[in-house]
Amino acid sequence: MTLLRPVAARAWRAAVSEAIERRGERFGGAWATRDGGWRAVMLAGDEAVVLCCDAEDGRVDSIVDIAAAALWDEREAHDLHGLGFIGHDPLRPLIEHTAELERWVTPVSGEGVHQVAVGPIHAGVIESGHFRFHVVGERILALDTRLFHKHRGLERAAEGLAPDDALKHAGRACAACAVANTVAYAQAVEDATGLWPSADLRRQRTVLLELERLYNHLHDIGAICAGVGFAPGSMAFAALKDRAQELNAQAFGHRFLFGTVAIGGIPVALDPPAAGALRGALRELRADALAGWRDLTFAASMQARLDGVGVLELEDALRMGVVGPAARASGVPLDARVGNRRLVYGGLRPASPPAATGDVAARLRIRALELEATCDMLDELLSLPLARDGASPGRERSPVGVGRVESPRGETVCTVELVAARVARMHLRSASYANWPAVARATAGNLLPDFPLINKSFELCYACADR
Amino acid sequence: MSSSALIAVAAQLGGVALAPLLPGLVQTAKARLQGRRGPSPLQPYRTLRRLWSKSSVAPAGTGAVYRVAPPLIAACMLIALALVPIAGRGPDLGVGHDALVLVGMLALARFAAAAAAWDTGNGFALMGAARDAMIAVFGEALLVLALLVAALPARSTDLRSMAAAAAGGHVWGQAAHWCGAIAFLLVVLVETGRQPIDNPDTHLELTMIHEGPLLEYAGRDLAYLQWAAAARHWVMLVLGAQLFLPHPAGFAGALAALVVAGLAQCLGLAVIETAQAKMRVLRVPALLGLGCAVALAGVATAIAGLAA
Repeated sequence: MTLLRPVAARAWRAAVSEAIERRGERFGGAWATRDGGWRAVMLAGDEAVVLCCDAEDGRVDSIVDIAAAALWDEREAHDLHGLGFIGHDPLRPLIEHTAELERWVTPVSGEGVHQVAVGPIHAGVIESGHFRFHVVGERILALDTRLFHKHRGLERAAEGLAPDDALKHAGRACAACAVANTVAYAQAVEDATGLWPSADLRRQRTVLLELERLYNHLHDIGAICAGVGFAPGSMAFAALKDRAQELNAQAFGHRFLFGTVAIGGIPVALDPPAAGALRGALRELRADALAGWRDLTFAASMQARLDGVGVLELEDALRMGVVGPAARASGVPLDARVGNRRLVYGGLRPASPPAATGDVAARLRIRALELEATCDMLDELLSLPLARDGASPGRERSPVGVGRVESPRGETVCTVELVAARVARMHLRSASYANWPAVARATAGNLLPDFPLINKSFELCYACADR
Repeated sequence: MSSSALIAVAAQLGGVALAPLLPGLVQTAKARLQGRRGPSPLQPYRTLRRLWSKSSVAPAGTGAVYRVAPPLIAACMLIALALVPIAGRGPDLGVGHDALVLVGMLALARFAAAAAAWDTGNGFALMGAARDAMIAVFGEALLVLALLVAALPARSTDLRSMAAAAAGGHVWGQAAHWCGAIAFLLVVLVETGRQPIDNPDTHLELTMIHEGPLLEYAGRDLAYLQWAAAARHWVMLVLGAQLFLPHPAGFAGALAALVVAGLAQCLGLAVIETAQAKMRVLRVPALLGLGCAVALAGVATAIAGLAA
């Protein structure tokens, strides 16, 4: 169960500061409710505590100086719920796009400084994102990102629904993270309703999450190759990704694994022959992926583009609350899979690259390492068939539940507040949402033509962030 | 007029029609090398036909510079085509066959593209034009030096004499010729806008060089520009075949060698583009500088050879 700890508005900063500095907890997201409430989830090991307060006159104290990771959360709450933040100045708009340029762009001036605006419409199959670079010649001084062009209001739409119906809203936030988002949501509801997953259910969900990681990591490696125009690599990994997705379709009926997660149970099973076939196909895929990776390591013209580009310093990664492969590439030993008792990750340690340089090269290498580990995990997990088995009640109920899952891009935190068996508030903070500010940080100081490469080395979702 | 001269005229006019085939061949070969089926080599013709039947549009606020640029660039490339002899023969079309005039035509086309980018004020067009200008500072020097290596043995900058001087097997015993060939390979990559210098397939505006100034153009204007890019392939590959690749002195043999060398160079470009990722843009001058050093070594040995 997750604790809901009410805090007086006046004591908000002190409560957050105590949690972070005294108890060593991590900020895991903050969100406003329709009745003027303001919540923040603090993470410690496998446990979570939700701090809550009521805004006074529609304002609360800002915590961005204590927890820099709350920057976007506060800007979003201001734009969507009209909440004011004392001490957050300037409070730049995030989702509201009507503001004039001066209000949302970082002021940068000097001789020869000019702005280069890209998007939101791009010349390829890319989601909508507007990037505004402040440059001198080819050198980027600062980057302002403006996403949230396709805000769907999924969280608002989920309010008042039965938990089983709201699952679809979490699932449709993003296709490439569908399993991670729905498992996080299902875990949050199970946490609130006192359900505990059975051993079979834990194993099934772990299999699905790792299959999702497999095709995403294959895709991301190929995307980095495309970012430097190295066609053999991007073609080889695009083909591998497609094979992984075809395996998803054969085993579970959907290339993006839609419809494979339910609250307290699992709607898909895998009989022994199917599990064996999947296991065999994954072994072949593993061998081919490793061979493809070996080819990349010998492609000198590609490797020459990766080192020292888009460096995210360890200090910045920690301060900004960066998660996932991006954090691990900078040397943060953080992986939401470690010690997660609602899933089966016994003995897993966060992957660490040979050199945690925090550049594009490190972010690429960490994916290759995790790809291998994922294949090994799947091989072990699929040694038994997957049965349809549910969760068992008996745990303590709580008004709020938190689900935490390591998606291919990092830790995704879903929080659900239940009132009379209905969803009162659902909040999905995906890894992409947590990491987007770090893209701008890692971009500063680099060359303009290297930005697509840096962006692809993070490979964040737009849809996940703009739910 | 002899029959070989007639064939040369026909081949030269044929260059206008055959030029789009070269980038088409490169694209097809590249797709095959990458395990894709890819478009037919005739795809550039289909694109040109489609673009030609569309009307042009101009961004608000642009003037004569923007409108004149596409036909001007196409005209420059047309003259460049007329300048380059075919199999060592060139009919007199009134523009001569001087190598330095060719350099000037290529530079004028580049200048027109940069001026048009300036006229639109489009960030990507200007960025591409600025990068192109930066690369041209080194690329044009390299082009002149490589041509000089070929001109010294001929004691003339007439492309016909240069092609004649490079015919036969004896030139391959001279170090200068090898230096010139290496330098000219880099020139081909620069002028045709191919990897590792530029990525012709990219859709990433921030990385564009030659594509950037084309972004605003549509319809007939874009057809002019795409034909001009194809003509640049033609000029470079035909020149490369006659000045720096093996060919016999006789017309028929030289023509056959030209066809083979043209196809081989298309395949070579496809192989390079498949095997090499794009370079970091600020490393390109270093590569071209190295090429200039090689070309200078070629010039020095050629002069030493002439003196001896």
